[in-house]
Amino acid sequence: MPPTEHISKAFEADLEETRTRVLQMGGLVEAQILAAMRAYASGDAAIVEQVIENDRRVNGYEVAIDSACSHIVVRRQPAASDLRLIMGISKIVTDLERMGDEAEKIARMARALHQQGPQHAQRFPAIRHAADTALRMLRQALDAFARLDAAAAAEVLKEDPTIDSEFTSVLRQAITYMMEDPRTITAGLEIVWVAKAIERIGDHAKNVAEQVIYIVRGTDVRHTSFADVERELSKN
Amino acid sequence: MILLVLALNIAVAVLAWLLWRERRELRRLRDWAAQPRLADPPEGEGVWGEVFDHLHRHRRAGLRRRRRLAELIVRQRRAAQALPYGVAVLDAGLRLDWCNRAAAAHLGLDPDKDRGQPIANFVREPAFVQYLETRDFSQPVRVARGGERIFALQLVPFGQAEYLLLSQDVTGAERLETMRRDFVANVSHELRTPLTVLIGFLETIRDLKLDADRVRDYVGLMAPQAERMKRLVEDLLTLSALEHAPPPPADERVAVRPLLERLRAEAESLSRGQHRISLAIDGAHDLAGAESEIASAFANLVTNAVRYTPEGGEVRLSWRSGDWGAEFAVEDTGIGIAPEHLPRLTERFYRVDRGRSRETGGTGLGLAIVKHALARHNATLAIESTPGKGSRFAARFPASRLLAAATATPRPAATSSPAGR
Repeated sequence: MPPTEHISKAFEADLEETRTRVLQMGGLVEAQILAAMRAYASGDAAIVEQVIENDRRVNGYEVAIDSACSHIVVRRQPAASDLRLIMGISKIVTDLERMGDEAEKIARMARALHQQGPQHAQRFPAIRHAADTALRMLRQALDAFARLDAAAAAEVLKEDPTIDSEFTSVLRQAITYMMEDPRTITAGLEIVWVAKAIERIGDHAKNVAEQVIYIVRGTDVRHTSFADVERELSKN
Repeated sequence: MILLVLALNIAVAVLAWLLWRERRELRRLRDWAAQPRLADPPEGEGVWGEVFDHLHRHRRAGLRRRRRLAELIVRQRRAAQALPYGVAVLDAGLRLDWCNRAAAAHLGLDPDKDRGQPIANFVREPAFVQYLETRDFSQPVRVARGGERIFALQLVPFGQAEYLLLSQDVTGAERLETMRRDFVANVSHELRTPLTVLIGFLETIRDLKLDADRVRDYVGLMAPQAERMKRLVEDLLTLSALEHAPPPPADERVAVRPLLERLRAEAESLSRGQHRISLAIDGAHDLAGAESEIASAFANLVTNAVRYTPEGGEVRLSWRSGDWGAEFAVEDTGIGIAPEHLPRLTERFYRVDRGRSRETGGTGLGLAIVKHALARHNATLAIESTPGKGSRFAARFPASRLLAAATATPRPAATSSPAGR
């Protein structure tokens, strides 16, 4: 029956296109975080402006993909794995949009921090490491989504504790710094905010990875320990 | 009658046998034709034998042709694999069909798993996404991946709406380009500063009616600026000569003792009695190489020591040599250098203290010249320093650059002008 085949082909194409759009949005968010970290290191005002400007594009992606998802649900009434894909996508998009907001926050903080002198940003190498880890997690989560690879997504969950411990170490260092010289309190607080934003980016990357596992396996692994996730994945 | 029946019987029997044989050969042909790849066609008799022979020959030729084509494909794939560039084949929908190892490494692709997926699912950088959207593939696009490596990517259409995606790692080239830009900016800045001073004085002298004494004063102030520009240009020429000259000769003797004595005399005259200067020589070796380069490197180290040591300080020159190699060291009791500056000290125009360096007449190129000249003689520069206490700069030569010192009278000191820092 050619008509049905035609419809299912168009449906396939719709799904494919939406998936590619999500991945493009992820690429933009990645670039935003990288740019925000460059602004943090250099205090370059032009980069800060660009990150703030580009966040509107991130938001635009979110709106467009969300409406594409509702469209697919209403017109095609997908079932089983297709429905999981659509639901997963709409959650991933929310996480990506939040990451974009965090990137914008980092850029704004960077500007405020460098107005108080360029020396503060260099004192905290742990921030750089945490940001590298968060970016790697995001990249791996998106790769896992592109390949619909649950095992690769599970690898991402492993990284989250690294960021948490980097955050604790930044916090401890910042407290010492502020206690030694109260004039650095403003700068110290801004550095803590930047570290917190990076930690949130790591959390959102983890959420994306969890959604990938849900899409592929149909198992909800949110609020589950990593060991349990691994056991769950090895079952099937 | 009986004979006729017999003959008829024989004829029927022969006919039956013939029929049976035809059917047998036909069955063999059928069985073989069902799976012709597995075996050669069967053997046969008579006309059947000829038919089978023809089939056999066709099959052999077919096999040979197939093998040749397969080899050709393997060779083409191998050639594409061996390219130092990343190559990926994309279909009309920009989906990945095949890629070589370099492309897989550059773009983070898995050639088996990712087949049939849109390339934009993996290369997600906004610059590349935009490149795909504009559909103008005449120029490559630069894409920074992971914030570290930079790749030049280009799509090339071929065949029936298919595309080749070429990728090349241009991180090194980009870095070189940045260095070149910085260097030009630095040189221009260094030349402009004294030039601005000169032009200022020239305008004053031209526009105002000044008495002769005033003019002489101004000219006296202009001279050092002109000197500074001359020194900078000389240092740049030295550096450029070092970069382009052929490697230094491995058999030309550089007499070390007279060279060091001359350097010491120069240091004394530069110091004008403000420092204690000593020279210790231990070991009877000369160096093999270009005398002017070694003299210029050593002289730079010595003048630096004198310049950066306050009055009453000490500058010690020493030369030690043995089977292990040789070391020329300059130790001073000067202002010293903070550790964070040490790794970048030999970079062109790197200055620990801009104001001070200019005040003492430095161009910012001295140590770059030293490093270059030493590297050309397989030597290394080791720097130790404690702020406030002093520094030790040591040029270390490998044994391969040493010659046993000539016992004859040292040859007359050659005239060479040491370049300043």
